[in-house]
Amino acid sequence: MDEKVLTSQFEDLLASRGVTRRGFLQLCGTIAAATGLAHVTVPDVAHALEESVIGAAEGNLFPVIWIEGASCTGCTEAFAQIDQPDPATVVLEMISCNYNETLSFAAGHSMEEAKAQTIKQCAGKYVLVYEGALLEGWDGWALRVAEETGVNAFLEAAESAFGVVALGSCAVNGGWMGSKKTPAGAIGCQALMAKHGIETPVTNIPGCPANPEWLVAVLVDVVMMGILPELNIDNKPSLIFEQAVHENCQRRGHFENGEFVYKFGSEEEKKGFCLYAMGCRGPQTKANCGIVRYNHRRSWCIEAGSPCIGCCEANPLDASHNWVDVNAPFHERHRDLRIGNWVVQPRTIGLAAVALTAIGVIIHGFGMKASGRLEDIRFEKQREWDAKHPDSAIGDYTADRIIIHADGTEEVVPADVFEKMQDAEYEQSMKKIGAAAASAVATGSATAQDAVETAEETARTSIDDAEAKTAEDVENAIEEEIDETKGGQE
Amino acid sequence: MAHFAHYREAHPLPFIIFHYINLGAFLTLVISGIFIHFPYLPNVMGMARGAHITAGIVLIINLIIRIFLALFVDTATSPGTRQKEKEIKAWLPQLENRHQFIPWIKYYLFIKKDHPLTAKFNPLQKFAYMFLPFSFIFMAITGFAMWGPTMNWIVCETFTNLVGGLMNVRIIHYFMMFVNVIFLIIHLYMVITEGGIPLIKLMFLQREHGGYTYDTTTHSISGKDEKEYPKLLS
Ligand code: HEM
Ligand code: SF4
Ligand code: SF4
Repeated sequence: MDEKVLTSQFEDLLASRGVTRRGFLQLCGTIAAATGLAHVTVPDVAHALEESVIGAAEGNLFPVIWIEGASCTGCTEAFAQIDQPDPATVVLEMISCNYNETLSFAAGHSMEEAKAQTIKQCAGKYVLVYEGALLEGWDGWALRVAEETGVNAFLEAAESAFGVVALGSCAVNGGWMGSKKTPAGAIGCQALMAKHGIETPVTNIPGCPANPEWLVAVLVDVVMMGILPELNIDNKPSLIFEQAVHENCQRRGHFENGEFVYKFGSEEEKKGFCLYAMGCRGPQTKANCGIVRYNHRRSWCIEAGSPCIGCCEANPLDASHNWVDVNAPFHERHRDLRIGNWVVQPRTIGLAAVALTAIGVIIHGFGMKASGRLEDIRFEKQREWDAKHPDSAIGDYTADRIIIHADGTEEVVPADVFEKMQDAEYEQSMKKIGAAAASAVATGSATAQDAVETAEETARTSIDDAEAKTAEDVENAIEEEIDETKGGQE
Repeated sequence: MAHFAHYREAHPLPFIIFHYINLGAFLTLVISGIFIHFPYLPNVMGMARGAHITAGIVLIINLIIRIFLALFVDTATSPGTRQKEKEIKAWLPQLENRHQFIPWIKYYLFIKKDHPLTAKFNPLQKFAYMFLPFSFIFMAITGFAMWGPTMNWIVCETFTNLVGGLMNVRIIHYFMMFVNVIFLIIHLYMVITEGGIPLIKLMFLQREHGGYTYDTTTHSISGKDEKEYPKLLS
């Protein structure tokens, strides 16, 4: 019996705003899905909403205070400015009737009193929805309402709330006002509360604007269960902000097929191809926009043809990690990096580093050629350190050396004789490529420039040796020359 | 031509197999990564991503196996020798490397003429090879942090939060790709100029080659091997 009375009373309320029972149940369906509570059914949601709306109308059960901070009221507009009354709007309006600067009929003194009363009488029982950024700039004198600074008004309301809902990216971490260039000193609710030691739980709902259905889903959790929804590491409702936009995007098939829009107004755009090449931030932005969609689930950013610009990106504790600074310029692949006044895409730096390395290697290669090291090298007889510190030497360089000849026979040679053979072999190789190059380096004076200059010379001389390609060829060539010189001497 | 003998002991078969797999996975990653970043080649994004993730997993498994092998397999930790020790010695600083860092830099800058005596890997190489496993693990964490199915893993999520969001992860992954490519360029250059054809043949075909020999007990050149090694696989 009670049930029936309640229901018809509620239906009257809806009907007076032009919302049908069917529209209302559709909303409940989305919410049931969005809250992610497996045991919640559509009738459960409907029932909870009915009760709370009526409860709120009668002055008990989770009243909502809705404060407008430094905002464009976009989050309010998102559900208020549509062509037909939206069930979500109505429900929100009804639950939040105690204080809402944008939507309430009342204004001025009576409104402020209503707020003060709610804070006092319903301490620990009301939900504070905060829209827009908090401004610490100008010594906190911004956003004054009724002789109170914005920061204080917020802190006072937050302190005795059951929970704070930071609605929209600005409320989460300052949003675009958090951008480095503004003097506003914008900051998000959670960070400001942490600064002032207020421990009221915060639920962050980013987005620019935040999707009204996310807010309804959160409020339903609060209203139904008297608890805040399950939150992730950023205090965002986990179910809504768990997967990347990309995972639930209707253009994902085109992504996998490598079918991209490269230019607006092109044939590809007409075909609805993936917007990845236009800088789409879908792969890196976590939100379920593609599932919940906007405006009665009619469409959403990517369906409407705009690449995702990552408006749900917001680290609540870091205003410099606001979605605009993180994602702009939106049509580039990465954010811009700023080094002093130099604004640059990571790609430029990466390609430049690789190019520099390649040039460095080529120059070094000329040096190698010039110094004759490509032809032959000479090992140090002993380590530099060992030569200077004989007492703590690492190597023992005095032992007899063993030469294993091509036929497998072994020959034992005293160390000094062996070293002379090493030198002789090296001298032969150097003679082959011309003394100039070798001596330039041998003096130890070769700078990179010398090296390059001599390199050209050597390169010319060594064209003749072009047939000596492999190490073996070089070795054979040396042997031939040694034989020749020997022959000449005889 | 003076160089150290190239013996199989320096690069036993398991490491050569590792090196093949590593090379394959690495090149696949770079090429598919470039396709992901510059999506101008039509129709391959799905494949490029699939190949990229697969190669990434192969790279990491291969790396883990390699680290274990280093603990159990014996290799020559100095060039031109058949004397063997546990491979891990070649990763860590050796007696052979002591005091040789500055001489090596001087050598590469053409300030020092004579080629410093060395372990299998010189001090600069050791830095590079020590850095590489960390770089691969880093690539894997940043890579998996950007991949839908794994982005909510605790390691990935923690990392993402640490560096300030997925955009930064993306940029770091992208930069690290260049760091790895730069490693590759220098690695190739060094292999060609320092080791030359004999080293490449040893590494890919297990073909040995004579040259100066080294003794790890005296820590010095011990002679010369002038034998003709069979050209079997050359
Ligand atoms: C080891 C495991 C690895 C995994 C799991 C992995 C995964 C990924 C993923 C998921 C992406 C897509 C990023 C996005 O959506 O923006 C990506 C991009 C990329 N990866 Fe990897 N990767 C790995 C290793 C590597 C390595 C070793 C390289 C190269 C040396 C590399 C080079 C690249 C490049 C160049 C991109 C494009 C970056 C961009 O466009 O922003 N990756 N990787
Ligand atoms: S349009 Fe964006 S979110 Fe959708 S598939 Fe393409 S890259 Fe992913
Ligand atoms: S798709 Fe992207 S830009 Fe659009 S609302 Fe979602 S996060 Fe914001």
